[in-house]
Amino acid sequence: MPLSPVFLADLQRIVGADGLVQSVEGRLVYECDMHTFYKGAPDAVVLPRRAEEVVRVVKLCLREKVPIVPRGSGTGLIGGAMAPQGGVMIGTNRMDHILAIDLPNRCATVEPGLINLFLTRAVASHGYFFAPDPSSQMVSSIGGNVATNAGGPHCLKYGITTNHVLGLELVTGAGELVRLGGPAVERPGYDLVGAAVGSEGTFGIVTAITVRLLHAAEAVKTILASFTTIEDASEAVSAIIAVGIVPAALEMLDELMIRAINEGTGAGYPKDAAAVLLIELDGPAAEVEAQGERAARICWERGALEVRVAADDGERALLWKGRKEAAGAVGRLAPTYLLQDAVVPRSRLPEIMRELLAIGARHRVQIANVFHAGDGNLHPLILYDDRVPDELERAKAANEELLRACIAMGGTVTGEHGVGMDKAKNLPFQYADADLNFMYRLRRVFDPDGVMNPGKLLPSHPACGEGFRPARPRVPDGAWI
Amino acid sequence: MAVAGRSVGEALVSIAGPARVRDDAAALAAAAIDGIRPSWVVRPGSIEQLSRVLALAHDAGLAVIPRGSGSTLELGSPPARADLVVDLCGLDQVIEHNPADLTVTVQAGVSVGTLAARLLPHRQWLALDPPGAVTRTLGGIVATNASGPLRARYGTLRDLLLGVRFVQADGVVTWGGSKVVKSVSGYDVPKLMVGALGTLGVLGELTLRLHSLPDAERSWLVLLTSAAEAQAFVERLIASPLQPSRIELFNDAALRALEAESTGAGVAVSIGSVSEAVREQGERLGTMAKIGRARVAPLPDGFWTAAESALMCPPGWTALHVVSLVDRLADTAGVIESAAQAAAPRSEVRLSGSAAVGTFRVLLGGAGVAEAVAITTRVRHRTAAIGGSVVITRGSAELRKAVDPWGPVEPGSFALMRALRDEFDPRRVLNPGRYVGGL
Repeated sequence: MPLSPVFLADLQRIVGADGLVQSVEGRLVYECDMHTFYKGAPDAVVLPRRAEEVVRVVKLCLREKVPIVPRGSGTGLIGGAMAPQGGVMIGTNRMDHILAIDLPNRCATVEPGLINLFLTRAVASHGYFFAPDPSSQMVSSIGGNVATNAGGPHCLKYGITTNHVLGLELVTGAGELVRLGGPAVERPGYDLVGAAVGSEGTFGIVTAITVRLLHAAEAVKTILASFTTIEDASEAVSAIIAVGIVPAALEMLDELMIRAINEGTGAGYPKDAAAVLLIELDGPAAEVEAQGERAARICWERGALEVRVAADDGERALLWKGRKEAAGAVGRLAPTYLLQDAVVPRSRLPEIMRELLAIGARHRVQIANVFHAGDGNLHPLILYDDRVPDELERAKAANEELLRACIAMGGTVTGEHGVGMDKAKNLPFQYADADLNFMYRLRRVFDPDGVMNPGKLLPSHPACGEGFRPARPRVPDGAWI
Repeated sequence: MAVAGRSVGEALVSIAGPARVRDDAAALAAAAIDGIRPSWVVRPGSIEQLSRVLALAHDAGLAVIPRGSGSTLELGSPPARADLVVDLCGLDQVIEHNPADLTVTVQAGVSVGTLAARLLPHRQWLALDPPGAVTRTLGGIVATNASGPLRARYGTLRDLLLGVRFVQADGVVTWGGSKVVKSVSGYDVPKLMVGALGTLGVLGELTLRLHSLPDAERSWLVLLTSAAEAQAFVERLIASPLQPSRIELFNDAALRALEAESTGAGVAVSIGSVSEAVREQGERLGTMAKIGRARVAPLPDGFWTAAESALMCPPGWTALHVVSLVDRLADTAGVIESAAQAAAPRSEVRLSGSAAVGTFRVLLGGAGVAEAVAITTRVRHRTAAIGGSVVITRGSAELRKAVDPWGPVEPGSFALMRALRDEFDPRRVLNPGRYVGGL
């Protein structure tokens, strides 16, 4: 529904003419995030500079019952920062300042539009870094990282975004500006910060974030091991974890991906390799040295074809090169792909990889894999060519079957990308009606009128419209009469 | 609501069986909380029984006090009402340990000691050590968000709890989170349950992240002459490449309780890693201490267990959980000690603290209710300026009536907390009146 001229004029009064995007071409830029399947342009985009402006925009939208969609850099992978029902998009790009850096207390307070990597750059000379490192970290905003509870290769050791957020300033769906948490590590009452991280803009919009900073490790060691089977590589992963090593990152590439990368980037992985493991250790030098030797020995014992240890930063970058260019390299195999983000228990990796090959064969689609093996977080790329009739349909069918297989093994539908539009329909694989009902009610506490990012994160129940109704247990008859 | 006591008792028996329901005077007296005697004590043997008990309590308008080992019943305000104590120690099964995945799923009544014994043969542990943990139940530890020295490296339950099955106030069994180490599927419901004192649901089952035991571990006591020196040492230590698993600060009274030399302040540091790295980091710790003109003494194996016993809260004492910041450690320690000195000159203050994160555990002896109120209020005033807090974790009911044991909560946050409570427990079935702001 187009917004009235009066409403648009009100928006412009709040954010200024340069903070309001109304033109069709201008709004088209905001019609999708990196999951280009889901498209929906907002009716207007506002680019506020201050929290107070955000409050006024939210209150205005509330008054008129206009949907609100928060957006950072738009690099999400789930159809989150787009407007399926139109409405007003609030872009945080102009709220990109570092508000405070507090090294003795190892934290910083930033605005949500700040680019992830810029924070690390600001503190690196003092020996600190911001740990969450999604692949998009040179372009994604910290506000977006908070919304999706983003992970990254190094979250195996350091944890995902939620483990690094101490405080939030949030404009709730009711238009209230609340300060939750802060530099002090805890405070009395419910952990509202913990609940809000990963809520994908459905609780409100974050206007400031206090994050932890970590001291950079003294030493880093990167090892690349290649194997002739996925099983051997998976066993090496389990054995490394079992001896108590927690690598900073533990990444695996499968055969198809290795081939694509070898052809695409010349990373020079062994031709007969069916699996490549990238192991990165960091910490005190003596620990890294001892654990590096041990990890390499484990790889040899599990039948590695080759084990390379990076001698310096240049070699380290080379070992990572193939991994970092994986998504691009699959472009040589197929014009496009569906990206999955399910998790299985680490011990089930060999099993799910066999299952994945069978699913691909059944639906006649190729599936390439690059994933965070250390925590069982798969990133299958289901390849398809949308010029071939029903290839997309077959890819979608393979996708759903794969998700169900992961859940059957005790896994979860998304490990680090989030739910958005893309996986909302999949949550019932994992949660019962009662669980989803709890989440609906939780959302309502923060957003009573349902204006915040509607249509995202939670599915609609086919029978009861909005919520899911749980069954109550039977109470003995007449007990209180 | 008119409640016919006898028929509620019969209904409880029909749900849980006669052996699991008590209403005799001795049992009820033993289950009293802050002097309020419940009418029944029930010990469910399954989550299904727990669910039906809560549905009954909800419909009958009863107030339910969930309890685990009973170690922390003095946390929070005295309850507004207490009709039914639900003893969760009957939920005592370790459901599933997946050593290769470093995860475990347990029922809420399993104690840390029981779990540790199950994990030890696999050289794994739950890296969480609040005081008295061995006999405390995991459900109770989650509900009270208790932690100990290991949080310096491993964090708190916020970082360790992956999934939770709980029973809502109306009896609906609900699951949140996942059983794998990484998940962002839907809202992070487990975080909401940590430290909620069971007010949003009674915990039934927990999935937890485990760690491998380090190959080797050693500990040292760094002896300094003042809290200011201790703070400076801690700041240097956490800005160094060393990775200690514990950095615990003690004041003089705490050092005396530990039968250690009392030089003004002490910082106990432990390092767990491969043995080469433990040795090497130990040497560097020594060098670092010498730069600060401190002395370093190696600590025997078993120090941390002994320290935990020596610093349990003695009967009649008050315990406070004080949250400050690393760069205010000395200031906060000073305020605590001087407030105690001013209010009750003959009192004793044993301070220990997770120095790496800026929290203190304060044991206060020899102070009456009025003095403890004065001390709490004064320390609150000082920590409020930096967003810190003071929570009374143990103390008499009189004290917790005389002063809010939780302290103030920022109004915007509190409005959301009240809305949560109103949404999930509008009838105030669960722990009525005990939580922040009388929720």
